[in-house]
Amino acid sequence: MVIGHECAGIIEETGSEVKDLVPGDRVALEPGISCWRCDLCKEGRYNLCPDMKFFGLPPFHGSLARQIVHPAYLCFKLPDNVSLEEGALCEPLSVAVHACRRGNISPETNVLVMGAGPIGLVTLLAARAFGAPRIVNVDVDGNRLSVAKELGADGVVQVSTNMQDIPKEVETICNVMGAKVDVSFDCAGLSKTMSTAQSVTRAGGKVCLVGLGHNEMTVPLTPAAAREVDVIGVFRYKNTWPLCIELLRSGKIDVKPLITHRFGFSQKEIEEAFETSAGGGNAIKVMFNL
Amino acid sequence: MLKGFNFQVHKIHFFLGKVQLCLCLSNESKKMGKGGKSHEETKSGEDENMAAWLVGLNTLKIQPFKLPPLGPHDARVRMKAVGICGSDVHYLKTMRCADFVVKEPMVIGHECAGIIEEVGSEVKNLVPGDRVALEPGISCWRCDLCKDGRYNLCPEMKFFATPPVHGSLAHQVVHPADLCFKLPDNVSLEEGAMCEPLSVGVHACRRANIGPETNVLVMGAGPIGLVTMMAARAFGAPRIVIVDVDDNRLSVAKNLGADGIVKVSTDMQDVAEEVERICKAMGGGVDVSFDCAGFNKTMSTALSATRAGGKVCLVGMGHHEMTVPLTPAATREVDVIGIFRYRNTWPLCIEFLRSGKIDVKPLITHRFGFSQKEVEEAFETSAGGGSAIKVMFNL
Repeated sequence: MVIGHECAGIIEETGSEVKDLVPGDRVALEPGISCWRCDLCKEGRYNLCPDMKFFGLPPFHGSLARQIVHPAYLCFKLPDNVSLEEGALCEPLSVAVHACRRGNISPETNVLVMGAGPIGLVTLLAARAFGAPRIVNVDVDGNRLSVAKELGADGVVQVSTNMQDIPKEVETICNVMGAKVDVSFDCAGLSKTMSTAQSVTRAGGKVCLVGLGHNEMTVPLTPAAAREVDVIGVFRYKNTWPLCIELLRSGKIDVKPLITHRFGFSQKEIEEAFETSAGGGNAIKVMFNL
Repeated sequence: MLKGFNFQVHKIHFFLGKVQLCLCLSNESKKMGKGGKSHEETKSGEDENMAAWLVGLNTLKIQPFKLPPLGPHDARVRMKAVGICGSDVHYLKTMRCADFVVKEPMVIGHECAGIIEEVGSEVKNLVPGDRVALEPGISCWRCDLCKDGRYNLCPEMKFFATPPVHGSLAHQVVHPADLCFKLPDNVSLEEGAMCEPLSVGVHACRRANIGPETNVLVMGAGPIGLVTMMAARAFGAPRIVIVDVDDNRLSVAKNLGADGIVKVSTDMQDVAEEVERICKAMGGGVDVSFDCAGFNKTMSTALSATRAGGKVCLVGMGHHEMTVPLTPAATREVDVIGIFRYRNTWPLCIEFLRSGKIDVKPLITHRFGFSQKEVEEAFETSAGGGSAIKVMFNL
C-alpha cells in the first residue's frame, strides 16, 4: 500500500467538469473520500462515513508519490503567501480545528492540552486561534514543553506516567492555569491523561478525546459524569480546509516552526525520514519535499 | 452517634389528641423513641414535628425534628407523600454515597410532595392549602454555575438528605417557596413526589436531545430506567428498547410501553452478542443510549451499540472507576454525556403528568404509613429490589 496522507501539490490536469481549478494551481489535499449517500454524509458528518476511502488507510493507497489522482472538490487552492509545506500541515491542523469546534472553544474557554506532541501543539495553536484566553500544555517531556512555551502556551506542566500523581498534578495544573479548566483536550489518549483531564476539568466542562492511545481505558467516569463533564469524541475532521487555509493566510496560526526535519524523495531518505519520525524526541513534523 | 441526643417520648405527643398531624400513626407508634430518654410533656402542648432520622448504620428512628424559622421567601409544608430513592437506601446501608458521608444523625428522604401550611411574607404565588411538589436542592445563586443556569452543579448545593442537610421524610419541612411547585387538581400528591425521579429522566432526555428522530436504548429497567423510558417517549422518541438482567423488570417495562426488551447478562464476554440483539430489537440504529445502571458492562454495551455520531448518557451511579472502550467510541464520535440530578424540570414534569403524557402511577408498587415499624419495613422492601419499584410513604 502506498503510504502518506498529509499533502499538498500542484495541479497538473483536471477533469472535464472541474470548474474552479486549473493546471498550475497550488493546492492542499483533504485525504478522505466519503460516499455522500449515507445518512451521516447527508447530515454533514461525513468524517464518520462507514465507506470512507482515506489515503493510506488500507486498502486505499496514500499520497507519498510523485502524482496522484483525487477528487477536485477535495483540493483546496492555497493563497500566494501560504507555502506548499504549510498546505500539507493543513491535515494535522484540521484535527485540531475540528476538535476546537466540537469543544466549542471561544474567548471564554480556558483550555488544557494533554500532550505536547504534533497533535497537542496544533491543538494549542488552533485553540488560540479560536480565542482561548488561557492555554496550558502538559507532557512528560521537558523539551516538548519548551517548544509548547515558544509556540505560545500560557503555561506548561511536566507530568508523569504514574496514576498516583494525578491529585498533585491536578493541583499544579489549576495553579498554572490560574482559573478553572473549561475544556481539556486529551491528545495522548491514555488512562492517565484521560483520568487527569476528567478530574481537572470544571463541572459542566468538556473533555475531548483526540488521541488514539489505548483501546480500553480505566477512568473515573462516574465522578466526571456526576459533575456533567462530558467526553466528546474527535475523529479526523470535516469542512476544515478553508478555515485552516484562512488561519494560515492571515497569520493567525503559524505552523512553520512545527516542521523540524526535511527529506527528499529517495529510498534512503524515506527510510531515514520514517526512522526520524518514529524516534520522537525533538522530531515534531518530518516533511518530504518532492 | 447517640450521645447527648435527647428523645421525646412520643406517647405524650400522641395522647395530646392532635391526631390530624398523625393520621398514619398506628398503635405501633408506642414503640417509637425506644431507647431514648424521656422528656417532660411539652409546655404549650404544641405539636412536635417528627421525622425519620438516619441515626446509624442500618438504623432509622422516628424522632423530633425542629424546624428552622420561616423566612420571608419560605413555605412550611406538611408532607403527604415521600418516595424512597436508591440513594436513601445507600445511606441507610453504608452511611455514605460517593464523597458524602453521614457523620451525624440526618433526616432521610427527598422525593416529596405535601400541602402548604404557612408562607413567608414575601411569598406571592402560594397560599396555605396549596398542594405542591418539592424540588429538593437549594443552590447558592451566586456562583458562575448557578448564574449560568446549571444550578444542579452548584458546589454549595444544599440537598434534602445529602449530608449534612436534613431530608424531608417528616411531618413538616420548611423550604424555599420557589422550590414548591403547585400541583393541578388532577395530579395526586404521590405523583407529585414522583416528579423527583422523573426529573432525572427529563433532564437526561434534554441533555441528550431526545426527539422524534432519536431511537433510544435504556440500560436498566429499575426505577430510573423506567422513568427515563417514559420521559423519552414523552419527548417523542419513536423507538425505545430497554435491557435488564431481570425478566420481571423487563415485563414491567414492556407493559409500560417499551418497543422492545432484551435480556442481558453481567458477563463482559456477552457484549458483542447483546449489541447484535439490541440492534435487531431496535430495527434501526441506536441514536442515544441511557446507561441507568452505570457499570463497565452497561457502559461498554452502550458505547458499542450506539451509532457513530450518537450519544451515551451516563445516568446511573454504579462504579467509581470504569474500564470501558472509550477510544473506539471516541473515534466514532460517540459522546459521553454526564447527568447529575436535574434543573428546571418540575414545571415540565407536572405538565406531563397533568396532560397524561406520562403516567407514573404504575411505578408505585408499595405503600407504607409513617410509623417506626413501617419506616423500617419500607426501607427493607425498597432495598430488596425485585418487584419493588417505587416504595411510597403516605403521611
